[in-house]
Amino acid sequence: MIKSILLVSLCVTSLHAQSLDPTTLFKPPTDTWPSHNGDYTGRRYSTLSQINQDNIHSITLAWAFQTHQQAMKSTPLEVDGILYFTVPNHVWAVDARTGRQIWQFQRQSEGNYIGQRGVAMYRDRLFFGTPDAHLICLNARNGKKIWEVEVADVKFGYYISVAPLVVKDKLIVGMSNDQTDIAGFLDARSPEDGKLIWHWDSLPKPGAPGSETWPNKETMAHGGGTTWMPGTYDPELDLIYWGTGNPHPVLAGAVRPGANLYTCSIVALNADTGKMAWYFQASPHDTQDRDANETPVIFDAEFQGRPRKLLAQASRNGYFFLLDRTTGENLLSTTFGPQNWSAGLNQRGEPIPKPEKEPRPEGALFEGSGTNWWAPSFDPETGLFYVNAHHSFLVTYLTRDEKDPASASDHQGGLDSPLWAEDMLVAIDYQTGKIKWQRDRPPDGGQVSLSNGAGILTTAGHLLVTGDDSGDLIALDPATGKSLWHVYAGGRLTGCPMTYELDGRQYILTAVDSVLYAWALSENSTHVEN
Amino acid sequence: MFLTSVVRSGWMVCFLLVMASTLRVDAHRAGQGDVTEGRRRGSALRRPSPEAERGQSQFLKTCSFCHGAEANGGAAGPNLMRSPIVRHDEKGNLIGQVVREGRPEKGMPPIQLTSDQLSDVAAFLHYRVAVSDGRSAPRPGADYSAAKLLVGNANAGKAFFNGAGGCSACHSPTGDLAGIAHKYPAVDLQTRFLFPAEPYLTATVTDSSGKQYRGRIRLHTNYEFAIEDSDGWYHSWPLDKVKVEVKDPLVAHRKLLSQFTDSEMHDMLAYLETLK
Repeated sequence: MIKSILLVSLCVTSLHAQSLDPTTLFKPPTDTWPSHNGDYTGRRYSTLSQINQDNIHSITLAWAFQTHQQAMKSTPLEVDGILYFTVPNHVWAVDARTGRQIWQFQRQSEGNYIGQRGVAMYRDRLFFGTPDAHLICLNARNGKKIWEVEVADVKFGYYISVAPLVVKDKLIVGMSNDQTDIAGFLDARSPEDGKLIWHWDSLPKPGAPGSETWPNKETMAHGGGTTWMPGTYDPELDLIYWGTGNPHPVLAGAVRPGANLYTCSIVALNADTGKMAWYFQASPHDTQDRDANETPVIFDAEFQGRPRKLLAQASRNGYFFLLDRTTGENLLSTTFGPQNWSAGLNQRGEPIPKPEKEPRPEGALFEGSGTNWWAPSFDPETGLFYVNAHHSFLVTYLTRDEKDPASASDHQGGLDSPLWAEDMLVAIDYQTGKIKWQRDRPPDGGQVSLSNGAGILTTAGHLLVTGDDSGDLIALDPATGKSLWHVYAGGRLTGCPMTYELDGRQYILTAVDSVLYAWALSENSTHVEN
Repeated sequence: MFLTSVVRSGWMVCFLLVMASTLRVDAHRAGQGDVTEGRRRGSALRRPSPEAERGQSQFLKTCSFCHGAEANGGAAGPNLMRSPIVRHDEKGNLIGQVVREGRPEKGMPPIQLTSDQLSDVAAFLHYRVAVSDGRSAPRPGADYSAAKLLVGNANAGKAFFNGAGGCSACHSPTGDLAGIAHKYPAVDLQTRFLFPAEPYLTATVTDSSGKQYRGRIRLHTNYEFAIEDSDGWYHSWPLDKVKVEVKDPLVAHRKLLSQFTDSEMHDMLAYLETLK
């Protein structure tokens, strides 16, 4: 009986072209996870419920895949029974049912290997960025390279860790740079040959709106604003939402008096032209490396009694922002942890940085909270926005001195001494910004590594799946934070969890360092083998 | 669940006695926030090679009057840190032609250098690129200028130590802190009085039979607890099966972190620097 069902399903699969129809991205069915965030909203909420609160305690390991490479920070895509995932300069295609490798692509290059968030898929092609800032197109059938283009110059420290976002017939590609004072940008490129369709600069041109927030055109032209996390997309408004990173030089704010637009911002761009519709600056005049690259999550819900098209971000600077995503109007700005650097909000709802908390030669005592690249999640059933966050103290020192030529082109421009840190998972009521519940890590004297956040998945099975900093994979009740399941899988959750259904069985995937684990209910509980 | 309360009772020990931890990882500052290597200290990358030092001398003679002493731009010449030719150069293979032939259209004259001089200048320029680039903010080195740090008032620091700070409850300038200013560079002393590295957390664990275990905490997750006892043996329990009392010697330091103003911090350093 089972064999015949499997045969039928294999036949059905083989009749399909195993490629991704771009229209699937608008409303992904439950049997695919076709993009970094699973869909255009960035909610990372799945309607699957086979694994749920009643049976999560009995889930078991379906398979594991060992990459033998560095920690995996990508979110796998799942399309027609095949998973696609990455680490820098490596791509794998793996059978989503068995965990067996189908093919592997690898290359070698110079550049930055800090992270790789995964591939994008358009029809039968995959796209990924490289440590030397190239964009590569692969044939999804066999991993053979179709084309490769240089997006930016690696000698200036550019690299691409972001997963491209497919929007209609375009690839939206961001970039990274932690190395030198450069200009950030976002490209729209053709899936056919990688050619540039439009280019958006994170920094204004001289004389353009926003240029008044920089002291001079030379500083502005190298002012940063990287675009290293995938954005989101509203097909009705035809707007792409993307976060930008910190200004350059990173810590030396005196070099660049002003708000430094459009760094540390959320921007809305027209999908066809790249023209900016609006911006909201999460950290005006940042001097603490507080990128606003975290997912701009979009959802339609009530706010103060009326339905709104909303955008929410839990930002790296410790603020939760709720915006009207049609206009960029700020609806709510609240903090999700203690801080000592903000003097309140300006008229646009943006934080006002205290000048005395900028890095100083004698040291400034800085307290902050925030998050980082790991995915948040919004559960429409609870109305809660979940994010893994941290709270820390450090002393920051300014070392860049324009009168001293030896330090006058220093990209960081400062130093810091970390003192103490703790991390926590917070559940934020999107309507008030208040924390509904919070999961703390037990006290360990503040020796928490702030690099160890984890992505979050919520599902219609009333589950929140993520990892503790201690290495436990966990499933919680999203309404209360109550722990429902945990396992220590030999490392820390480094990738963001995702889920899919294949032949009637739901899988939850967690990347723990170099191993990808697939969790599912025992096959005995979903069907009987004969 | 037997007992779930986790008690933090503070008793102050071993202030400033713990060795520096250079392994504490902090991605607060790392560009993409997911660095997993230890943090380098500020001066680690800043020593030029002999070639770069020779190149610097040469650069000062023949190049700096336009490009600046540190090659990051001067009165007549551009910032060479931003030059694609410099960044793509390997051992002078691209710089050489520009130096030898000049750029007459931009007012740069040809400069005659031997191939050794040229490769030294290239080494200097690559060194300057490495210095000006930075992957993440390093921690300050031991050579960080004490003069920059000492902006506070030692008397005010002493008053804070004996008064509002509550420091004298556990520490004494003639006891554990005697000579502390000699022991650490000022920049390390600033970090250490704020929050000493590697807190030594200990705990008493009472199991369901009432038996007690004491030792250094080895693991404390939301589900598991483990200590190392005084004989060096490891013991672990499910957290919900035991009563755990954690002793954190740095509780008062943690509280002060939220209370310190910057001027109090600088006053404290000024005071501790008098304890020679």
